[in-house]
Amino acid sequence: MENILLEHPYKNNKHIALVQLNRPKVLNALSTDLMTELVECMTKLDNNPDVRVIILTGNDRAFAAGADIAQMMTATPIDQIMDNRFRTWEMLRLITKPMIAAVNGFALGGGCELAMSCDLIIAGDEAKFSQPEIKIGTIPGAGGTQRLTRAIGKSKAMLMVLTGDMIDAQTAYDWGLVAKVVPASTLLQETYEVAKTISERAPVAVRLAKEAVNKSFEMTLKDGMDFERRNFYLTFSSQDQKEGMQAFMEKRNPEYKGN
Amino acid sequence: MTQFKNILYTEENRTAIITMNRPELYNALNADAKMEIVQAIREANKNSAIHSIILTGAGKAFCTGQDLLDRSVQVSNDTIDLGHTLQTEWNPLIMAIRDSKKIVIAAVNGVCAGAGISVAIACDLIVSKPAVKFVGAFSKLGLAPDAGSTYIFSRALGYQKTMEFFLMGEALTSEELHNAGLINALNENVLARAIEYAMAINKLSPLSTEMIKKNIKAALDSNFNQSIERETHVQRFLGNSNDYKEGLTAFLAKRQPNFTGN
Repeated sequence: MENILLEHPYKNNKHIALVQLNRPKVLNALSTDLMTELVECMTKLDNNPDVRVIILTGNDRAFAAGADIAQMMTATPIDQIMDNRFRTWEMLRLITKPMIAAVNGFALGGGCELAMSCDLIIAGDEAKFSQPEIKIGTIPGAGGTQRLTRAIGKSKAMLMVLTGDMIDAQTAYDWGLVAKVVPASTLLQETYEVAKTISERAPVAVRLAKEAVNKSFEMTLKDGMDFERRNFYLTFSSQDQKEGMQAFMEKRNPEYKGN
Repeated sequence: MTQFKNILYTEENRTAIITMNRPELYNALNADAKMEIVQAIREANKNSAIHSIILTGAGKAFCTGQDLLDRSVQVSNDTIDLGHTLQTEWNPLIMAIRDSKKIVIAAVNGVCAGAGISVAIACDLIVSKPAVKFVGAFSKLGLAPDAGSTYIFSRALGYQKTMEFFLMGEALTSEELHNAGLINALNENVLARAIEYAMAINKLSPLSTEMIKKNIKAALDSNFNQSIERETHVQRFLGNSNDYKEGLTAFLAKRQPNFTGN
């Protein structure tokens, strides 16, 4: 892996993995190679039974400043179709474990879309978000018109997508794009705290809950409610549910095994 | 170090001193002058040998705001866009001061007018000469206050006093602003007093001073729950720093700490 770094266990915690985008010279521009490595790495972590939560981050200056423009400048539509680079992006949707985007600095274009591909975003207070594709004569291609609209609503999504202008972390928080804003230098520590909390919850339930929340974007309310209920019933086949409720009655901390 | 035309940049001990140097114009700022101050603040922030910044003016004035001879603000038959002047010149200057990780001390050597007031009150600590006049000149020109001054004044002076100040255009003195808590110290020798503050700050941990500034600025825009949560995040972070180890060790050993900023 040339373009990303993996730290697992992270902070000596085998349940948590830190994946860091590592092309600092180009503000972590998301080349095809980087995305391929990222999906491979995420898939391996998803298959590793020790891992319960994955943190995805960049560096202080940039989470990721979008796609690799140099790579795309002279491309034809056919080049783009044959390259099929969004195939790797689509595969991120198949990851079953919670992915938390820890965003410091710029999350622009593909960077913003990558952050939105994660399950939740925590931002440092100096982070900036935008979908600037319109400024260079194109439009978002990896969810910037879809996930963004679902996250912040039509009018604000239009404002971002049609102007290409940046919003700061506090605005992103006010608009519902990010879950938490923390002081920039504390970002990884505070993201770790959130990851650790999730990692202490019942892994089977976490997986079924993530799946159900994501389904809300795909289904009518009625179908979504039915789906949720099936997953709710399904948790009762897990040892984790027995342990969780037992521990609650006995007023002790549960010890989940993820089965 | 960049060569500057409109400001002087010197270093004393671990303090960068930025002097607005257009005394013949009472330090009214054109576009270049503003950008030079922004650049000087950025360079001081990048230089790990610098721990604090002093901003002062040459001659009789601290800063009298917009240079009205600058072409971008001249009245003409074409539409002029003062919003653009703010967005591209004044706001970046004010934000550079507010976002500076290193503490910025204003040494107000003389009159502040218009957006010049904003430059002074954007600073983290303010030392002023006695009897200095602060003049909100906007209403007399048919304009409204800008560059962050409504935010800071209304919080410090309250609504009615701020209204009176910006409507009537009568000057407030440094004594009045000192009483209101906007000015930290009055001193005939403003630079010497500002340097005293700077020398005390330079002995502290840069991580700690940066976080104190950020937390207090954030608190002005937050409710209690947000503030106490932010304090918790920051303290968890600082608790893992080498400077905290050094600070605690030095305290227990009854010696002066030697902070390194990591």
